[in-house]
Amino acid sequence: MTTEDPKRSSSLDAPRDIGAARLAKVYAQAIVDAADRHQCQAEVLEEFTQIVEDVLPRVDNIASVFESPRISTSDKSALVRTTFSNKVLPITLNALLVLADHGRLGLLTELVVALRRELDQRAGKREAVLTTAHSITPDEQTAILKSVEGSLGESLTAHFSVNPDLLGGLVVRIEDTVYDHSVSTSLVSLADRLKQRSINEIQHRRDRLGSA
Amino acid sequence: MKFNTDEIASVLREEIDRYQSGIDVREVGQVLEVGDGIARVWGLSGVMAGEMVEFPGGVTGLAFNLEENSVGVIILGDYLKVNEGDEVRSTGKLLSVPVGDAVIGRVLDPLGNPLDGKGPIATDLERPVETLAPGVADRQPVREPLQTGIKAIDAMTPIGRGQRELIIGDRKTGKTAIGIDAIINQKHSGVKCFYVAVGQKDSSVAVAIDVLRKHGAMDYTTVIVAGASVAAPLQYIAPYSGTAMAEHFMYNGEHALIVYDDLSKQATAYRQLSLLMRRPPGREAYPGDVFYAHSRLLERSAKLSDEHGGGSLTSLPIIETLEGEVSAYIPTNVISITDGQIYLQPDLFFAGQRPAMNVGISVSRVGGAAQTKAMKKVSGGLRLDLASFRELEAFAQLGTDLDAATQSRLDRGYCMVELLKQGQYQPLDIVDQVLSIYAGTRGHLDDVKRDEVAAWEAGFLTFVRDQTPEVRSRLEETKALDDETERLIEAAIAEYKRQIQGSKKHEPTLAGTT
Repeated sequence: MTTEDPKRSSSLDAPRDIGAARLAKVYAQAIVDAADRHQCQAEVLEEFTQIVEDVLPRVDNIASVFESPRISTSDKSALVRTTFSNKVLPITLNALLVLADHGRLGLLTELVVALRRELDQRAGKREAVLTTAHSITPDEQTAILKSVEGSLGESLTAHFSVNPDLLGGLVVRIEDTVYDHSVSTSLVSLADRLKQRSINEIQHRRDRLGSA
Repeated sequence: MKFNTDEIASVLREEIDRYQSGIDVREVGQVLEVGDGIARVWGLSGVMAGEMVEFPGGVTGLAFNLEENSVGVIILGDYLKVNEGDEVRSTGKLLSVPVGDAVIGRVLDPLGNPLDGKGPIATDLERPVETLAPGVADRQPVREPLQTGIKAIDAMTPIGRGQRELIIGDRKTGKTAIGIDAIINQKHSGVKCFYVAVGQKDSSVAVAIDVLRKHGAMDYTTVIVAGASVAAPLQYIAPYSGTAMAEHFMYNGEHALIVYDDLSKQATAYRQLSLLMRRPPGREAYPGDVFYAHSRLLERSAKLSDEHGGGSLTSLPIIETLEGEVSAYIPTNVISITDGQIYLQPDLFFAGQRPAMNVGISVSRVGGAAQTKAMKKVSGGLRLDLASFRELEAFAQLGTDLDAATQSRLDRGYCMVELLKQGQYQPLDIVDQVLSIYAGTRGHLDDVKRDEVAAWEAGFLTFVRDQTPEVRSRLEETKALDDETERLIEAAIAEYKRQIQGSKKHEPTLAGTT
């Protein structure tokens, strides 16, 4: 369970580049398969997350170096080898080298999102964003999450967010499905029902007038 | 407007008492990019092709392209209100429009929203915009005529109820006028009419609506407008929306007529959408399924079998050609789909022959089955005669001396051409048409000067209406031209000729004044 962290994007957000996300998914599947054989999936994910979130932001222009076609793949591989050998698991190092060989080091950010999603999927865990109108305490968060998991019958990786426009209630988004129990949506549906009722009333009276 | 606050309060109280908070479950996506009437959406993994989706602010869209990683949505409304990152929700419904008597007499947009300022469409009847056409078992052959009120068409290219007759021609050749005339002529026939304006100038549409209103045709007509200024998605769906509204009457055993003005603009709008959606372009950059876009639309016009109520939907699609090029992609497609075409030619139009129908290449594949017996009898052979007259006329222009028989054929041809001229918005009753064409084809106008034919015809029809009403009533009753009716018509013509001869003798001489 996590609270809203602006740095870490949820995998429910739309990717900036669909093509990159699609490619990253393929690499993520392969890396998780390889890690599976060595029973080190969580560690590999942790290392990739650290590389993307802690290491790369500290190095200026590293993204340009990874993406530039003017720097040869052998140079990129050498860079990866000297930087990471003996510092990360062999699986992680190999994965980085494969990425470098294929000129895909620029995909690292998307790869972390894809890895996280792939691992969650294999563990039968789904990512959920729970939005409330007011901020709630961690105890309340745990209670709400337990209740949602209980009613859905599955375990969730939850992110909490606050949106005052909801006025009250709770909105749960799991992948593409939204379970909306907010006051604002209820008011909109009430307004629609009243409008529909008025239309039916007008129609009924008009029909009566027409038949008279 | 004075309203009863107590009543409103009681309704609200009742609603609040009955209120049950339910969870709204929906599938959502996120707008990745938007522009030119289309949006690319991430998510919506369970959306169906053609399903309606909703953007914030009440803008609706239609799932158009289902791709591996995104969904291409066409935006039916103001796409400038949609922003990147907006949430898109699926509705689980197909796009539907209001139908029934509530839409009659109204001017609507392709989503069924009123454009005429006459208040909301108060109905709960809806029909999906895209439906399957009736199958072969649900149909019966077209045999009931749909009178357009235009002599040239009703005599030579008759249209039956349930038929699709294409009106094709260059710009400014009177295509719309034929559609409008056909609508005006349905005044007492009980046929519900639908005029779908696609990609037309709003000023032209305003004129058409005004004409329909002035002739009392808006009492049974619905106008669906997707003008040149609206986004391509609305222009693309407008014909389907109009058809859904018209179909309602067909499936309820009534008769409907729909004019699509015009399908070339719809094809252009569809091409724009398809190219923006990156569908592969084909001939003339149209997508590969542009034929299907038109065939599935026009197949929905049908004459239903008696078990299904016997209703019909007749359609008059209009196609605009460029420089008379009928072999372009869209014209050939629609020609092959429809049951015949009325071809309008600019040179005939400017020569004063209106409607400017080229008799030689205009056909109706339903033909005589959709004509009354009387009309079939008087107009039999007229089309071929006129076509051969055109050849003869070209030959005569060489200046060769003609024998008397050829000269008389030529004169008869000129006379028939004059007789088939007809003013705009002046549809003629079928009985009047039979009388006029009878007089022409039986040679009673051979001695009338060419510039007097129109006046002779008008006078004759007034004469029959006022002085020999038994001829009209007999024709109306029997709808056939038996010997007795022919004898009555001959007598009426003879009497009319005698009367105009007499009046000419008594006219004061105007010699020297002209």
